[in-house]
Amino acid sequence: MIRHALAEGWLLLRQRGAVSVVLALALAVPISLAGVGLSLHRWLGPVAAMSGQASVVAVLLHPRLDGEQRSNWISEEAKAHPEWVITEISREDLVERLERWFPYLEELVAGGDASLPPLVEIETTEPAGVAVLEGRSEVLAVGPRSSVQQLLGRVARGLAWVLAAMSGVLLTAAVLLASVWVHLELYRHADEISIMRLVGATEPTIRGPFLVAVAIPGAVAGGLSIVGSIVTVAGLSRLSTTLGLPAVPSGFEILALQAGAGLLLPLVAAAITLARHAADEIAE
Amino acid sequence: MPRGDFERPRHRHCRRLPTQQGATPGPASPLVIRLRNLSKEYERRKILRGIDLQVDAGEFVFLTGPSGAGKTTLLRLLYAAESPSAGEVWVAGRRLDELPRAQLPLLRRKIGVIFQDFKLLRRKNVLENITFALRIHGVAPREAQRRALQVLKRLGLHHRQTALPDALSGGEQQRVAIARALAYQPRLILADEPTGNLDADLASELLSLLCDINYQGATVLVATHDHALLESLPARTLVLHHGQIHYDGMWPP
Repeated sequence: MIRHALAEGWLLLRQRGAVSVVLALALAVPISLAGVGLSLHRWLGPVAAMSGQASVVAVLLHPRLDGEQRSNWISEEAKAHPEWVITEISREDLVERLERWFPYLEELVAGGDASLPPLVEIETTEPAGVAVLEGRSEVLAVGPRSSVQQLLGRVARGLAWVLAAMSGVLLTAAVLLASVWVHLELYRHADEISIMRLVGATEPTIRGPFLVAVAIPGAVAGGLSIVGSIVTVAGLSRLSTTLGLPAVPSGFEILALQAGAGLLLPLVAAAITLARHAADEIAE
Repeated sequence: MPRGDFERPRHRHCRRLPTQQGATPGPASPLVIRLRNLSKEYERRKILRGIDLQVDAGEFVFLTGPSGAGKTTLLRLLYAAESPSAGEVWVAGRRLDELPRAQLPLLRRKIGVIFQDFKLLRRKNVLENITFALRIHGVAPREAQRRALQVLKRLGLHHRQTALPDALSGGEQQRVAIARALAYQPRLILADEPTGNLDADLASELLSLLCDINYQGATVLVATHDHALLESLPARTLVLHHGQIHYDGMWPP
């Protein structure tokens, strides 16, 4: 049966040589792009992780608060917001932190230590949430709450998801393409299939050649997609290293996934199409 | 029964006694075909009406009747290309309407069908059409080729072995269809108008071939409305009319 499937599958391929080449290329392109997409997804991973990093927001307290009042306020806020890590800045570091967080208060800083208001730093993964302190009588001002890293991370994460989704769409397109190809071939060979059934061919005997005829362009597509993604990823890596960014990784797992997708996706699509075709024939 | 336009030699050696009615079908039964109260209808039009029939292993049977009598439908029911609307179809000890789908190919391998419309694979040449069927039946490639050439020689087609079906005449295509059905030496041969496109000599040669195969033990059921063919060979004959068997006996009497 395997010899029969190979021989007949090869015959099918020879009969439809040009279409088989087109199928191999049409499968290779989306699989290759999916591979590149997954490489970029992986490359963006560390940047995307920054979206979840904790940031620090500075809060300037009212100078009338004495030490005990400040301690009470800090413990109350820590109780109300357990996700916050609140640290009071010591007198020694105060000038340096004020210059960093509130550069527009340079006159106040120049006035000397005695006039400097107390400062606390709140470490949190949700810096925007610190805005709730604005308007409180104990609080003079809340420092900048936007985080460049977080913004960059969010953009990277979004881009990575877009690339992963695009990869999924492209792979789905590849499966549908193989399925349509098998469907057309079944339609073209419908008479032969019915004759084969009448002379006693089993379903595996009928389906085998079609699976072989799809597996060979699929394997070629897998190989071509590997070459395509290696070349593309190398180009992107050169570009990223020129810009001072890390090289785009081209992992073995992604290449193996591409080879597997090239071979298996059209096979699965063909198997489903053939099974549906057989079920339709039985129903008729 | 009217005579045909030409006389054909009589093949008197190709003769089997009709089956005794009432035998019980089953795996150990010598019955090859048993139909019990078989009916078939398409869109409320009754093609076959309550047919009861038994055919023993090794019988040679003609099935005749006017066009539209249901001969082809009856044959299609016997190789399970159709399902009955009512009744039972037993072939080689298996009830077809209850046969699991996966076992159907194995049953069909016991049946050689000579189709009225030939059903040849258009993209394969004469030799490949026959070896293909043999390969499906598990015959090794070399043996398949040897057997295909043997049967082609017998049917006078060995010189056309590389021709595609479309390059053949109707008679040649019919002979290829016959060669394919005979090549794997089935236990039951169903022939639907096998001489429809053959001249008198070839028809006689085909009948002789079917007789030989019958003599070797295969059951042969030939659907035909060629009266000359019926006259040339005394055999059990079933006359089908309006979907019912009107005559079941030896012809010529």
